[in-house]
Amino acid sequence: MAKPDSKPKQNSRPKAKKHYRPAGKKKEGNAAKYVTRSQAVKHLQVNLPLFRRLCILKGIFPREPKKKVKGNHHTYYHVKDISFLEREPLLEIFRDKRAHEKKVKKAEAKKNPDLAKRLRTRAPTYKLDKVIRERYPTYIDALRDLDDCLTMVHLFAALPALEREKIEVQRIHKCRRLSHEWQAYISRTHKLRKTFVSVKGIYYQAEVEGQKITWLTPHALQQVMPDDVDFNVMLNFLEVYETLLAFINYRLYHSINVKYPPILDPRLEALASDLYALSRYFDVNSRTSVVDPQVSSTSGSEQVETQKVGTASDESELRLAQLQHQLPSNEPGALMRLVEDDAGDTEEDDDTRECKKLFRNLKFFLSREVPRESLLFVIPAFGGVVSWEGEGAPFNEDDQSITHKIVDRPTLVRTSLSREYVQPQWVYDCVNARVILPTEDYMVGKIPPPHLSPFVDHESEGYVPEYAETIKRLQAAARKEVLPLPGVGNEDLEDPQKLLSEGIIDRAEASEAAERKRKMILEQNRYLDELKMEVEGVQNSSTPSDNKQSSSKETEAKEESEPDLEQIVEDYANMSKTVMSRRKRKIYEAMQIGKQRKKAHVDLLKERKKKIQAAKESEEN
Amino acid sequence: MKIKEEKKKSKSVQNSKSEEVEEEQPSITEQNKLKLKQKQKQLPSHSDSDSDPDYGSPYVSDSEDFSEDGDFDGSLSDSEAGESGSSGDEGVVDSDVDDGLHNDQENQSNSSESHQGVEESDSSEDEVAPRNTVGDVPLVWYKDEEHIGYDLNGKKIKKRTRKDKVESFLESADDAKNWLKVYDEYNDEEVEVTKKELKLINRLLKGKAPHSDFDPYAPYVDWFKWDDAKHPLSNAPEPKRRFIPSKWESKKVVKLVRAIRMGLIKRDKPKEEQQFYHLWGDDSSSTEKANHLSFIPAPKSKLPGHEESYNPSLEYIPTQEEINSYQLMFEEDRPKFIPRRYTSLRSIPAYDNAVKDVFERCLDLYLCPRVRKKRINIDPESLKPKLPSRRDLKPYPVTCYLEYKGHMDAVVSISIEASGQWLASGSLDGTVRIWEVETGRCLRVWEFEEAVKFVAWNPLREIPIVAVSVGQEVFILNTGLGDEEEQKNIKELLRFETPVAPDDSGDKVSVASWHQYDKHEGIRLRHFKTVSSVEWHRKGDYFSTVMPADILFPDTLTDVKTSMPLLIIDLLHVHCLKSRAVLIHQLSKKHTQRIPFKLRGLPVSSVFHPTKKIFFISTKKNIRAYDLQKQKLIKKLETGLREVSSISVHPGGDNIIVGSREGKLCWFDMDLSSKPYRILKCHPKDITNVAFHRSYPLFASCSDDCTAYVFHGMVYSDLNQNPLIVPLEILRGHTSSNGRGVMDCKFHPRQPWLFTAGADSVIKLYCH
Repeated sequence: MAKPDSKPKQNSRPKAKKHYRPAGKKKEGNAAKYVTRSQAVKHLQVNLPLFRRLCILKGIFPREPKKKVKGNHHTYYHVKDISFLEREPLLEIFRDKRAHEKKVKKAEAKKNPDLAKRLRTRAPTYKLDKVIRERYPTYIDALRDLDDCLTMVHLFAALPALEREKIEVQRIHKCRRLSHEWQAYISRTHKLRKTFVSVKGIYYQAEVEGQKITWLTPHALQQVMPDDVDFNVMLNFLEVYETLLAFINYRLYHSINVKYPPILDPRLEALASDLYALSRYFDVNSRTSVVDPQVSSTSGSEQVETQKVGTASDESELRLAQLQHQLPSNEPGALMRLVEDDAGDTEEDDDTRECKKLFRNLKFFLSREVPRESLLFVIPAFGGVVSWEGEGAPFNEDDQSITHKIVDRPTLVRTSLSREYVQPQWVYDCVNARVILPTEDYMVGKIPPPHLSPFVDHESEGYVPEYAETIKRLQAAARKEVLPLPGVGNEDLEDPQKLLSEGIIDRAEASEAAERKRKMILEQNRYLDELKMEVEGVQNSSTPSDNKQSSSKETEAKEESEPDLEQIVEDYANMSKTVMSRRKRKIYEAMQIGKQRKKAHVDLLKERKKKIQAAKESEEN
Repeated sequence: MKIKEEKKKSKSVQNSKSEEVEEEQPSITEQNKLKLKQKQKQLPSHSDSDSDPDYGSPYVSDSEDFSEDGDFDGSLSDSEAGESGSSGDEGVVDSDVDDGLHNDQENQSNSSESHQGVEESDSSEDEVAPRNTVGDVPLVWYKDEEHIGYDLNGKKIKKRTRKDKVESFLESADDAKNWLKVYDEYNDEEVEVTKKELKLINRLLKGKAPHSDFDPYAPYVDWFKWDDAKHPLSNAPEPKRRFIPSKWESKKVVKLVRAIRMGLIKRDKPKEEQQFYHLWGDDSSSTEKANHLSFIPAPKSKLPGHEESYNPSLEYIPTQEEINSYQLMFEEDRPKFIPRRYTSLRSIPAYDNAVKDVFERCLDLYLCPRVRKKRINIDPESLKPKLPSRRDLKPYPVTCYLEYKGHMDAVVSISIEASGQWLASGSLDGTVRIWEVETGRCLRVWEFEEAVKFVAWNPLREIPIVAVSVGQEVFILNTGLGDEEEQKNIKELLRFETPVAPDDSGDKVSVASWHQYDKHEGIRLRHFKTVSSVEWHRKGDYFSTVMPADILFPDTLTDVKTSMPLLIIDLLHVHCLKSRAVLIHQLSKKHTQRIPFKLRGLPVSSVFHPTKKIFFISTKKNIRAYDLQKQKLIKKLETGLREVSSISVHPGGDNIIVGSREGKLCWFDMDLSSKPYRILKCHPKDITNVAFHRSYPLFASCSDDCTAYVFHGMVYSDLNQNPLIVPLEILRGHTSSNGRGVMDCKFHPRQPWLFTAGADSVIKLYCH
């Protein structure tokens, strides 16, 4: 009742205040927009650790003003950020917490353990859901920022509980649970795209809602706890990340009609095979929630689904081929657009479908020494069936249908002829190449071929390792069998249409590649023509809108008695540089430096490779 | 019970106060033990008195100070003293025993100490009365005496005769029991330790209770009779408050009850788990924007490359030498991650920095200022401006067509005759040569004593004369070309009867003097300073000379009137000196005049405007344009260069190019502004000269880096259109000598040809 009365009052007050500016206060500019950290702390009336904590929770970071009014060595926060903190309910709760701690302390000091105990049960608590909602207004925003969150949660899942650092056991367990929930979802929905075993740990990349999410899990070994790390900071971050991941998991689970939080089989949980327990949980849940009553088992439903999708894809390919015939062949761009229109919405499904099919008919058995958690995550994500040595495993080692046994031992003890014995790297390489690689190189006891990062763009890097070429060839070979497209049987890999059908590059890239290629061919032709003319000694003045630069260069080269071609090219580059403005010239030079650095790196690699090969050859001889 | 036995045995009623030697209480302290050991040594002396234990016990119990006295010897002597008094008959002793009993009971009731059962006197010495009665005195006092003390009866105890050492040794060797014997200094006798005592000592040494019968773990007997206590400790009556309920407590209870009823106090709720829900709803609200600052997302961590693999290709692994070389690098440049290769998955160790990496990332996230920076992701080639095709801009000099060889040293300056048929060149070897352009034939050679600095043809075709600057002199020489009539005119022109004194009426200083030069039939103009350049006016009558060197030299100072005040002298001096650096000479009148303007800075070169009566003087930083008729400054052009080296004016007269020693070339459009229209950074070294073509839209610059650039410089008659500048060609061919490259470049007056004079003593002609 009093509110409507008071409201206009409140509105009018700041208005009146707006024009008042205390003497010495700046009204505008950087001095008014930014405050230093100490100013902010003073303004908020908190201590520095609490301020930092608030910043972490709220995701507030310092900013770089154009003009640093207070000096270069200060950290600057935006005034709006600080006022954002000021109005945060968390601030009040933290103050309450502090007061509460004092009460407890007092009770203890007065030897009143009852009171202290009672007070402890009533510590003020807070929730971070509002904060997360503020930080990530949309679900996509949250997904986009999930990399650090996942890395941190996975790291803490592997850490030991430490009393002295206040890392509690419950915290670790929670992290483990969250990470398993996430992995189970990714594995279940076949959203995993890339894996990479590095020295630092295992990198995974998944694609959820079009967002590429990359995270690092440490190797399943005893982690080193360094002394120079402030775990308080990390725990503060973890607080946010736990909540964030839980909400995201909730949403993900509900998107596939599974209840969250999941209730796991305690027996499996006790055996530390949470992932398998989760997958079982999925099975049970989805069975109840599947709309089709006649489908009894989920694996069956999956197969049906894939078949359905498979036929759909076949259809689209057929149509593609037809369209190709109808269209003039030299217009790849138009075709591209058509295909995009056609399969624009199912594009994402293509990838998942491919991933789902990779290990479809394979049955894996893990030996004891193999990193179980990682492989239990990866293999089902690509459609494989997996079991392991130990209790609670879905099937035993003497199952005859096992196709691959994954072993990581120096020598092989072959027990069955029907299955292949491979090193774990084979699985990761297959996943990255999206092709079942031949297992000869990955035999037990051999040193496997180099494990390459799937995150490297070879084209921009400028150097392609040897094994990457091999994999590319294998991929091409595999594709040719699977997808014989009519009319495009004899082309090379460069053909954008083929690439498109293979799904290696996406559509935009494909059109770009096509364009590039067309240009290149045109230029090549032109260049050849000109060369021919010059050889004949014809002063070509007839080519009107050609690439004049190259041609004129050529004529000069001809006119000179000894055409020092390199000199000419360099001269030409220099000449155009003289007319550039200074700013552009500087940028250009900086770019050249970057290019050179990259080239130096590539050269170093090439040189090393040459040396290694030479050494190898001399050894052989 | 044992104690009771002891009582019987010793007939002593005192259970706790006194004790036999053999009987030690369990509460004996460490200190006492030690003392006991000492005592054991002395004990044997009393072994005889051991037989009648009754002896001293009552006396000992009587002695008051015994319990408190820690000093054993003292107590001994005391008890002895008591003993000595009453050891007479045994009957007394017996009665005393009874008394002792009574006393004991009294003691019990009186002193609570005895009730504690803690205080046990170590009064085991009672019956071991020593023979000697001197007490605890230093035995040194008796050192010189015959006796060592007195016995109980007060008789002297004689010292025993000292045995010979050998004797005593032999004795001790013979005696099998020698190890049991102890010498008692106090009583002066040898005592043999009994078996019993030996046992006791052994037990003590082992840390056990001395008596073997003693059981340290006997069940506790509570001797105090609690039940029989007749009187309470406090006799105060029970207070009332013990019987009535507390008022304040009830008040408190009422308060609490009320609070609970009103719901102010709540029962502890069970801890609730965090509930999860659809935090983002249906994303329908995704259109809503955060109402404040733009959020700058943190950059994602870099994705790992091949080198981070646990099993990278071999070429990614640095060799040991390379790893060692990293140590020489700066710490920032050092690679943070050194690739390593593990041949199998099982051999990968735990990564040391796993936690630290994540921690550092955390720090980055909340401590690093974030700025949104635009990253240019373009092809660097696209930065280059679109230039019109060079082919359309033809013709321009492209290739070397002719070389003029003959000079012995660097060719410093060249000049082409107006018709384009002849070329004059001056070299550091002191010669000026005239060449035929088309054939490369050297027509004429003049030799001078000094290095030639500059040559300039008269721009008029009918007067083929050359101005040559050599050191401080400028020669006007007749080339002897042209037909006879022309030669006649020239000779007329160059005839010079008398060395006329400089007729500048106002000036006292002779800036230049005209002389007849007979050697090569010409005119000699003597300047006061080295002349660096000579420029002809387009009409061929006037020419200007520049003396850029330091002007302040003492000769001129002396010329100034001495009567003038010093300040004015200086001002005047500077004023007049400045203007003396550039002179304008008139050939027909053999007349020299100074420029009537102030000059700021050292002049570098001067040019006449091609059409108007304007004179350009370039100093090291600026270019000034003077109107010669009105005698005033028209325009000052600010080059922004560090040191101007050369200047050239477009034949149209509105555009100027300026070359500088830092390799930059400025194009000025006089109509636009005083700032350069375009600055071209083309040469890495000094630009020595710049030149415009007289008819073609070409200009060139030559530099010490042995190259000459040819540009297309089109000036449009439409004032709205800016000049078009296109670099066309880089001409190479000269070689460097003494760090100098191309010294001069000039265009052919009619053909698009470029002559360049190199420091390698060659002149080259570049044709289209």
